Amino acid sequence: MKFIIKILLIALCVFSLFFLQVFNPVAAVAQKGAKPAKPPATHPKLAEANYAFDVNAMGDMSDFDPATVQFPKGDTIKVAVVASFTGPAAIVGKIYWAAVAWAAYDINQRGGIMVDGKKKFVEVIQADHMGRLDQCKKVAERMALQEKVHVLVGTDGSHLMKVINQVADKYKIIAQNITSTSDDLMDATNFSRYAFMSCLSSSQVGSGLGYFYGQIRKKEKRFYIICQDYAFGRSIADSFKKGLKQYYPQAKIVGEDYHKLFLTDFAPYLEKIKAAKPDVIFTGDWIPDGANLVKQARQMGLKQPFAHLFLDDPNFLHEIGPQAATGNIQITQYGVEGGAFKTPEQIKYYKTWHDLWANRWKTEPYNSRLFEHGSGNLGSYRQQAYWLFSVIERAGSTDPEKIIAVWENDTYRLPTGKVLRMRACDHKVVQDLHVFEYVPAAQQKVSMNIEPYYWYKDAASTGPTWRIPAEKVLPWMDTKLERCAGKNEWGE
Amino acid sequence: MIDKMKRWLPWAALIIALAFVPKIFGIYYMNFFITFAVFAVFSVSLNLLLGYTGLLSFGHAMYFGAGGYGTALALKYIWNLPLLPALSIGILSAVLLALIVCPLVVRVGGTAFAMMHMAFAQLLYVIALKSRFITGGEDGLANFRIPPFSIPGVVSFPLEGAPANFYYFAIIVLGASLWLMWFFTKTPFGQIQVGIRDNAKRIDYLGFKVTHAKAVVYIVSAAFAGVAGSVYAMFQNVVAPDGYLGLLVSFTPIINTMLGGIASFFGPVWGTAIYALIEEIIFRYTDRVELVIGIIFVLVIMYAPLGFSGLMLKLKFKWMMFKNKRMRQAA
Amino acid sequence: MDVTASMYAAQAIHGIAFGMVLFLIAAGLNVIFGMMGILNLAHGAFFMLAAYFCYSVVAMTGSFWAALLIAPVLTALVGVFVERFFIRKVQIMGAMGELILTLGVAMLILGGVKFFWGTENLPISVPPVLEGMVHIGALDYPIYRIFMIVLALVVLAIMTLLLYKTRLGKIVRAAVSDREMVNALGINVPLVFMFVFGIGVWMAGIGGVVIAPILTVFPGLADQVGMYAFIVVVTGGLGSLKGAFIVSIIFGLLSSFGIQFFSQLAPVLIVGFMAFVLAIKPHGLFGVKE
Repeated sequence: MKFIIKILLIALCVFSLFFLQVFNPVAAVAQKGAKPAKPPATHPKLAEANYAFDVNAMGDMSDFDPATVQFPKGDTIKVAVVASFTGPAAIVGKIYWAAVAWAAYDINQRGGIMVDGKKKFVEVIQADHMGRLDQCKKVAERMALQEKVHVLVGTDGSHLMKVINQVADKYKIIAQNITSTSDDLMDATNFSRYAFMSCLSSSQVGSGLGYFYGQIRKKEKRFYIICQDYAFGRSIADSFKKGLKQYYPQAKIVGEDYHKLFLTDFAPYLEKIKAAKPDVIFTGDWIPDGANLVKQARQMGLKQPFAHLFLDDPNFLHEIGPQAATGNIQITQYGVEGGAFKTPEQIKYYKTWHDLWANRWKTEPYNSRLFEHGSGNLGSYRQQAYWLFSVIERAGSTDPEKIIAVWENDTYRLPTGKVLRMRACDHKVVQDLHVFEYVPAAQQKVSMNIEPYYWYKDAASTGPTWRIPAEKVLPWMDTKLERCAGKNEWGE
Repeated sequence: MIDKMKRWLPWAALIIALAFVPKIFGIYYMNFFITFAVFAVFSVSLNLLLGYTGLLSFGHAMYFGAGGYGTALALKYIWNLPLLPALSIGILSAVLLALIVCPLVVRVGGTAFAMMHMAFAQLLYVIALKSRFITGGEDGLANFRIPPFSIPGVVSFPLEGAPANFYYFAIIVLGASLWLMWFFTKTPFGQIQVGIRDNAKRIDYLGFKVTHAKAVVYIVSAAFAGVAGSVYAMFQNVVAPDGYLGLLVSFTPIINTMLGGIASFFGPVWGTAIYALIEEIIFRYTDRVELVIGIIFVLVIMYAPLGFSGLMLKLKFKWMMFKNKRMRQAA
Repeated sequence: MDVTASMYAAQAIHGIAFGMVLFLIAAGLNVIFGMMGILNLAHGAFFMLAAYFCYSVVAMTGSFWAALLIAPVLTALVGVFVERFFIRKVQIMGAMGELILTLGVAMLILGGVKFFWGTENLPISVPPVLEGMVHIGALDYPIYRIFMIVLALVVLAIMTLLLYKTRLGKIVRAAVSDREMVNALGINVPLVFMFVFGIGVWMAGIGGVVIAPILTVFPGLADQVGMYAFIVVVTGGLGSLKGAFIVSIIFGLLSSFGIQFFSQLAPVLIVGFMAFVLAIKPHGLFGVKE
């Protein structure tokens, strides 16, 4: 009797496994989504690049540790990472630091860069703005005037980036924006020749998600917007609305809310969302706000997926568990469609970082999951830093005028194969974007196509990924800006 | 005659030294000095209340912010507004705000006074935060025009893009404010204030209206906080809720006053200088800023509760004692 | 109950739940002020410290319940240490001294937290028993938030009993009203005050542990919540537990219904309410004139 029960049980298990395999809801969605996801080939303007990153030319990274890395001093190419190293968003500074320090260390291991007739090393300096405007201005000026840096790299917060751009403009040094997405940074009032925005911008997030939901996914119809109440949150929400209007006129926005930064209790907002019954909740929030939002939403039984930008912190994803994040949609400038690794070089590039993380980095916070893969936003910052150094190398000088001349209209191929193009008239980047869906470990192999075939065992992470072609998500251009007058959206 | 010279000599030396700061130290320290001067004036304005009338305010930032926002909004929305009117608008908005708040607060003292100020400052803070279309919300106002300093038909200096010119302008305005405040405390009226602090009843019996006297100091204090805010706004070319109206901004002058010494006029100035230097130095060597500043606060309050001026007095006293002893021994 | 009604009901409970957490923190602040006359600016920092202790205890033992017992006590011990070796020494200097001192302590705690735990966002999960929702008609409500309300009420009950029904409470209240007299009776007043400070910090600690699972623990936590607690105490009247309780709930409700009806104005409502109350009653709703 016992034996029979055992057999029945095993049969049941096998059957249920089979059942799950056939009717897996997530896989079904993924397949359904995958069908129309045959986007047009890469735009010809992005098919070729002036310069391509060569993984095989990389220096020996085996001694690199972001916690202890030392840079040569003296007559160097100086880059300041202006970010929060203390204050509520202190962790963000560490992320930028690891990314920029990595690229700089690599350049130094290769022997430095030939500038103004002399081989020079790169020196990276931490500049802490503590998330405060006055401190940001002070520290950026100190970098410009006292440390005499050549480039200011920043930062977490568009309002702070604005200050950095102002300082760069005033003292005629380069400012590179690797993460603040507000479009008005480069509008007619705020544009500076010295400021480059090498990251994606809010308008692209909006049109990209609009394109994804309207032209690729064609499923969800009702959207709720909840964002932080400051320039970035407002602009990202506006862009999302514009994007939906452009690519998905049938979509309906069933509500929108703007909450204050560093909010504690999201319950009242979530209650409103619950009553509005959206299919998708769009949020521009970053962590900790975004983390609290999603966490409290799941605690309150809200099951709708979030479409977001910055909620990719693996610590947070582990915390809420694979189920809570599955189905969430993220738009990114880093993604790769299909398997992430297509060439041995890409695997090498990935392994160099990951193995160091696993074996060498022992100091908080660099030993945490946050730094495990070096992909996602972190990966993008790293690539942008490499782009900067490549531009300096090709300019053959730290003279800002020469750097500007090379960077405008420059095209650069990343290790992931994607090409970035710096639009000359307003210094924004034209590039393909990617949208991906979060799936549990078992399904992550569509993206993580090498051992161990998942990104995170106990958390949802990148699954199916769709490319949003660059010509569909051209960054917004301010036609009032004189330099852009009469030009098309490619800046020509 | 010689006595008078002796008294004026250090001041003359100081003025000459200040005039040469841009030449000797360059832009960075010039900016550092402007920031210091702004907060020195702000701290002294708070100490007018605290040290001379014993009223502690947790919301002095609202006058600093009113000055800053007043000037910034005026420069943003009034086309071609000259410099001095812009400055005056900043001061006037602080005074106006003080006139509104004053009747509510002068009737109380102690903790209630402090708390009411915190409440009003916070109210102003959230209003600035939430009226995006006027104040720019969380991001504040930036990139407004800084008009040149000009006396029509006589001179005109551009301030935008000319840090040294701005330095002279700021130092003159802030220096004049300091001098006016000092002058104010030396007037018979200022002396009454000290009387109020020490024994309000007695002043009352002497026939002065305590509440009225308090109100006047209150408004004067607000006006000078407004000057500081207004100059700071033009200097930074940015105003935002956190940097002008936040709770920390209200605490800054209190901390400066404590560090420098509550009992003297120049105490807050010393305090501001010490705090600015400490910050400047520790930022360069460690990112454990909170730990260091925390330790300094605790140490100061435990071992030098009268602040820097108190410490100086104590040392001077000890030195005199020491000298006396030696003299007696010699005799 | 139809959907709209259940939404309003849920908003009301949200308001109360949030108010209760505020109350836990504010009550601690209030006990310290009401009994000792100390304005503890480090209160928010203690609250944050408790959340960090909670994270570590959960990481070590895996049990939220252990954390709920241990973390507030650890925090209270730190508080007692601070009282014994710092605050007591500056008390003669009056309010200003304590102010700067507690501000310094707050910064030390912040620096210490970053030193020991780093700057990352640390996650804590809701204990499995309290996961999920209760269903009352059309209303779904998370169990954990109901637990928060209940716990706050329990703490309130303990506090009331302790202060008004025990000998210890009598001594404390006597020591507050006439310190010299109680001292002369042979009771160690400083010890009593140390105990009171500990209790106040312990309550902030409970608040920190309870709120940790619905938030992420990070170094900005102190500012995030501390400010609200301060506002509650001031509006309710310094030293009045009743005032803190009522104002906490008013704030919670103002916040949740404010967001429901005029989402943009919610923060203005709360602070506006405070300014309004203080403009009429400078010592707070239930405050006593000094």
